[in-house]
Amino acid sequence: MKNRHRLLPWLYSFPALILISMIVVFPILYTGVISLTNMNLYHWDNYGFVGLKNYARALTKVDSGFLSALLTTVLWTALNMVIQVTLAFFIALGLNVKGLRLARLYKTLLMFPWAMPAYVSILLWKVGMFNTEFGFLNKVLTGLGLGKWNFLSENVPAFLSCMVLNLWMALPFMIMMMDGALQSVDASYYESARLDGAGFWKRCWYVTIPSIRPILMPSVLMTTFTTFKQFDIIYLLTMQKGALSGATLQTIITYAHQNAFVSNNYGLSSAVSIVIFGIIILFSLVTNRGIKEEA
Amino acid sequence: MNTGKRKQMAGLAVLNLIFIVICFIALIPILYAFGLSLSSGSAALGSGLSFFPVSPTLKNYAAILVDEPFLLWLKNSLILSVGTMVLAMGTAVTAAYGFSRYRFRGRRAMLQLLLILNAFPQILSMFAIFRLFKILHLLNSYGGLIIVYAGSMCIFSIWNMKGYFDTIPVEIEEAARIDGAGAGQVLVKIVLPLARPAIIVTAVMVLIFVWNEYLFATTFMMDESSYTLAGGLYQLQSGDYSRSWPLFSAAAILVSVPILLVFFRIQKYMISGLTAGGVKG
Repeated sequence: MKNRHRLLPWLYSFPALILISMIVVFPILYTGVISLTNMNLYHWDNYGFVGLKNYARALTKVDSGFLSALLTTVLWTALNMVIQVTLAFFIALGLNVKGLRLARLYKTLLMFPWAMPAYVSILLWKVGMFNTEFGFLNKVLTGLGLGKWNFLSENVPAFLSCMVLNLWMALPFMIMMMDGALQSVDASYYESARLDGAGFWKRCWYVTIPSIRPILMPSVLMTTFTTFKQFDIIYLLTMQKGALSGATLQTIITYAHQNAFVSNNYGLSSAVSIVIFGIIILFSLVTNRGIKEEA
Repeated sequence: MNTGKRKQMAGLAVLNLIFIVICFIALIPILYAFGLSLSSGSAALGSGLSFFPVSPTLKNYAAILVDEPFLLWLKNSLILSVGTMVLAMGTAVTAAYGFSRYRFRGRRAMLQLLLILNAFPQILSMFAIFRLFKILHLLNSYGGLIIVYAGSMCIFSIWNMKGYFDTIPVEIEEAARIDGAGAGQVLVKIVLPLARPAIIVTAVMVLIFVWNEYLFATTFMMDESSYTLAGGLYQLQSGDYSRSWPLFSAAAILVSVPILLVFFRIQKYMISGLTAGGVKG
C-alpha cells in the first residue's frame, strides 16, 4: 500500500487542507503582515510598513501594557492550575472512598458546570452571582449583615472573582480525569503500603501521586493550555462593550482583542498575536516531545 | 471492632456531608437561575434568599418564546450548526481516513502542523478574518461564519476521527479489496459504517461548539435578524437587565437544556475524545 498511492492520500485530504489553509493558515499569515504595518482606524487603507516597531512597542515599552498582561496571564495560569489540580485530587480521592454509595450521584451532579455552555455560565454568574444589586453573593453578604460589595470594580477582587468562576467551570473535567486515573491504580499497592505502616499522606505522596501522574499528564497539559488562553471569563465579566465593570484586568489574549476591536491598534494587536502564537508553539514543542506517535 | 466500624460510619457521614455541600455549590448558579426564571419580575428584586419563588410562573418562558425573537435565534443557530457540521465533517472524514490509512511523505509533518494550528486561538486572527471578510463582503452572511467555524472544527475533527480509524483493523479493508472493491467503495461501504460511533460523536461535538460560540457570532453578524441564540442571549443581558433579568434566566435555561441532554448522552466519549484527539497521537 505504501508506494502505490502517492497521490491518493493527498486527494483524500485535499478539501480539508484547502479549507484549513483558507480559514486558519492564511489569516495567521495575514496577521503577520498586519503586524509589520501601522494599520489603525486612520490608516485603514493607506497603511505603510513600519518594520518591527509594533513588536518593539509591545515588548520593550512598559506603558504599552503587554508585559503586565503577560505577567497577569502567567499568574492566572499558575494559580488556577495549582488550585484546580489540588482540589480535584482531594475531591476525587473522596469520591473513591470505599462505602460512599452516592458517589455516582455526586459525580453526575458535579458534571453540570462542565456541561453548561460556557458563555451561559459566565453570564449567569455575572447577573446571578456577582451583580451588585440582586446577585446571590451580595444577598448572602446583606443577609449576614455586611454591606454590598462590588466584586468586579477593582483589579484584585475581579481577578479572584474570575478565578473562582474559572475553577467552578474547569474543576468538573479535572475531577473526572483524576477519578478515572485513581480507579486505575492497583489496590494491592495500597495494601502493601498500609502493611508497611504508611499513613494517609505518605500513601498519597509515595503511591497515589506517582501512579496517576503519567495518566494525568495529557489532561493537565491540555487544561494548562485552555487556562492560558482563557478569554471568555475576563471579557464577559469585566469588559463587555458598554458594560465595563471598572476593573482593568488584561490577559494577553484580552489585550490583543482589545487593541484590535476597541482601541483599533491593528498593527500592535497583530504583533501581540504573533508573539502569543510563538509562545504557544514553544510550549507545545516542549510538551509534545514526550508524546510520540505510533509509527 | 465495633468502635472501628462506628468510626468508619462517622467518617462516611462527614464525607457525605462535604459532598452535599460541594454539589450544592456546584449547582447554586444554575438553581438560582432556574428559580429566577420561574419568578414574576418584581419578586426577583425582593431581598429574600430563597431559591424557589413563592408563586412560580411560566410567563417568562412564554414571553421569551413569543415576545422575543427566540425562535428566529434558534433558526439561525440551527442553520449555522448544521451548515458547519456538513462542511467540517464532509472534508474531515476523508482527510482523517487518508491520514490514518496511508503512509506518505509529509504525513507526519502535516499532522504536527495541524496540531499546532489547532492550538492557535482563533480570536488572535479574528481581526485579519474580519478585514478579509469585509473586503470580500462576507460579513453578515451565514456562509462566511460557517466557513470560519468549519475551518477550525475541521482540524479537531480530523484528529478526533483519525484516532478512531487507527483502531479499525486494516485486514477488513484488504479483504474487501481482494473481493474487487475500489478505494471509494471500501471507504463508503466498509469504513464509514464501522466508524459510525466516532463520526456521530465528532459531529455532535461540532454542533455543540457552534451552539456555544458567541464571539464570532456577535462580531460578524451585526444584523439583529441574524443573531444566533448566543448572540441573542448576549444582547438580552447587555441591555437593561434589571428589567429582563428573569427573562434572561429563562432564555439561558432554554438554551442549556438541549446541550445538557446531549452532553450526558455522549459524555463518556467526550472524555476519551478530548484526551485522545487533543493531545495524544
